[in-house]
Amino acid sequence: MNGRPDLSVHIGKVSLRNPVMPAAGTFGYAIEFAPFIDLNRLGAILVKSVTLKPRLGSYPHRLVESPSGTVCTIGLQNVGLQRFIEEKMPFLRQLEPPLIVNIAAQSVEEFGELASRLDKVEGIHALEINVSCPNEKKGGMQFGIDPELTYQVVKAIRKETDLTLITKLTPNVTDVTVIAKAAVSGGADALSLISGSLAMVVDIEKRRSRLGRNLTGGLSGPAIRPIAVRMVWQVAQVVSVPIIGVGGITCAEEALEFIIAGATAIQIGTYNLVDPTSLIKTIDGIEGYLVRKKIRSVRDLIKTLKI
Amino acid sequence: MNLWYTAPREQEVERGKIQGIYERSVVVGKNYMDPRYQILENLKVSYNYFKIKLTAPGTPVPKLGQFYQIRCSTTTDPLLRRPFSVHRFVQLGNIAHLEILYRVAGKGTEWLSNRKKHEFLDILGPFGNGFILDEGNLPLVIVSRGIGIAPLYAVGEEVRKRDNKREIFILMGARLKERVFYESECKSLGKVFIYTDDGSTGFHGRAPDLLLHLLQEKKLPEKFTLCACGPAQMLKELDELSVRFGFRGQVAMEDRMGCGFGACLSCVCPLRVSEIVINEQWEKPALQWSEDGTQVFSLVCKDGPVYDLNEVDWNEWTA
Repeated sequence: MNGRPDLSVHIGKVSLRNPVMPAAGTFGYAIEFAPFIDLNRLGAILVKSVTLKPRLGSYPHRLVESPSGTVCTIGLQNVGLQRFIEEKMPFLRQLEPPLIVNIAAQSVEEFGELASRLDKVEGIHALEINVSCPNEKKGGMQFGIDPELTYQVVKAIRKETDLTLITKLTPNVTDVTVIAKAAVSGGADALSLISGSLAMVVDIEKRRSRLGRNLTGGLSGPAIRPIAVRMVWQVAQVVSVPIIGVGGITCAEEALEFIIAGATAIQIGTYNLVDPTSLIKTIDGIEGYLVRKKIRSVRDLIKTLKI
Repeated sequence: MNLWYTAPREQEVERGKIQGIYERSVVVGKNYMDPRYQILENLKVSYNYFKIKLTAPGTPVPKLGQFYQIRCSTTTDPLLRRPFSVHRFVQLGNIAHLEILYRVAGKGTEWLSNRKKHEFLDILGPFGNGFILDEGNLPLVIVSRGIGIAPLYAVGEEVRKRDNKREIFILMGARLKERVFYESECKSLGKVFIYTDDGSTGFHGRAPDLLLHLLQEKKLPEKFTLCACGPAQMLKELDELSVRFGFRGQVAMEDRMGCGFGACLSCVCPLRVSEIVINEQWEKPALQWSEDGTQVFSLVCKDGPVYDLNEVDWNEWTA
């Protein structure tokens, strides 16, 4: 085989030079990783959830480690839309990879307003919709566990923008394919899955949750990876839009599991915190695998699981 | 901040993918490792307290109170890096010796305690704010419990180096006699007062009880500045004493950390809105305000880990 393998993929209208990007909430506003890696090598830049108003987030303590994972509740702490645009966008605009902004809101209307305002901001290529947040109007129920609510959220955002829309799915459901189909019929161009799996760790001395008042958090990291691979495979059977696989990836071999199961691209989350260079190593590793297997394009590998 | 390194895994080495970012690596057996952090010694000091001495780059010189994120695993369990404060940093031209004093408290530190001389460690840092040592030359009162002495000994040593005449008082202790350690080292810096919860040696009581006793008995100078490190409850009570007796202090906080460099927002510490200290050394870039401006969270890794004793909202922190 001559030349280097082709790593480029498409997610909706967005072209990615390779299928590797960070997962929302583990990469700050990208600038935090500038001392460690060349951000321009990434397939896409993905920044943490932005909400309409600034959010303080969960009380301490927010994080506890569990076997091969972390249970974590940040509670959407962020600077809010206005400061995001004023303070974070100037740096993000200078970067070459497409920018995906994760958005979260407490009501369908708020999602719509966020989308409409971000639609006018230069330098944003796609929105990733966080439907794992609680809906205030429905008594705090998560949007993402209800197909009708998921549909409504995506549809409300679709009405406001032509940006590529990625809906991030939660694993805390009985049948993820139902939600996936609802998101696609609402107008999602792509799906990303999975977000954290709801979890709890107990301190038996104090008989309290190790997350204190927060009680529960999302389990992420290698512990959830096989579940995420299974869900990506399930969703790939029922939708034709691109899927972005996420859940406990630490290296190229694990990223490739997702791609073979049906993912077009992958996100690395928790492991960024352990090894800030893992995204770059994963890109190099995927390329190495394609060379070794004499596969011309990573696209030839998507959804090639033999049954 | 440009101090970073992570060792690639074995399969990556075998695949020949070592390039660019690993240029300064060396081959050790089958692993490529950072030659800059090599273990010179890793010894048990007492009970479950250990001291590790490493070679380290000569720059940047860590500020006292800053911390390093050390990978304490070669697998994904334990997963996250563990934060360790600088105990001592001795510069020797382009390289330096970094000493870290640590307590074996779980899987990560257990792994670290089993590392041998000549092995290499995967370390990021230094991160965070340090102690501010140039606040006049008031007598210094150090209050520590257990492993809390790790960053404070360095503070005492630096103060002693700068001003041989400045008075230093060290209140140190633990639950019981067997866990009191580093007493003789601290005696070379100043006057040491020992406490134990069970009274098996020294003052019978906890650190704030001892401080209160010394203040009431007028065994400490009328004016002094305090540096403390220890459990949250101890720090909270020191804050109460500082209000009652009118002294100022700085504390080194510890919290479980995700990244250590401000990306994950896990290590939040609530501050008192009216007491926030921002100056040239403590810029506090990561403060997050509530929408109505009545609450503020800082990040221990970016805005800390050293704080003014009075600025932390201890009620929220210990809730």
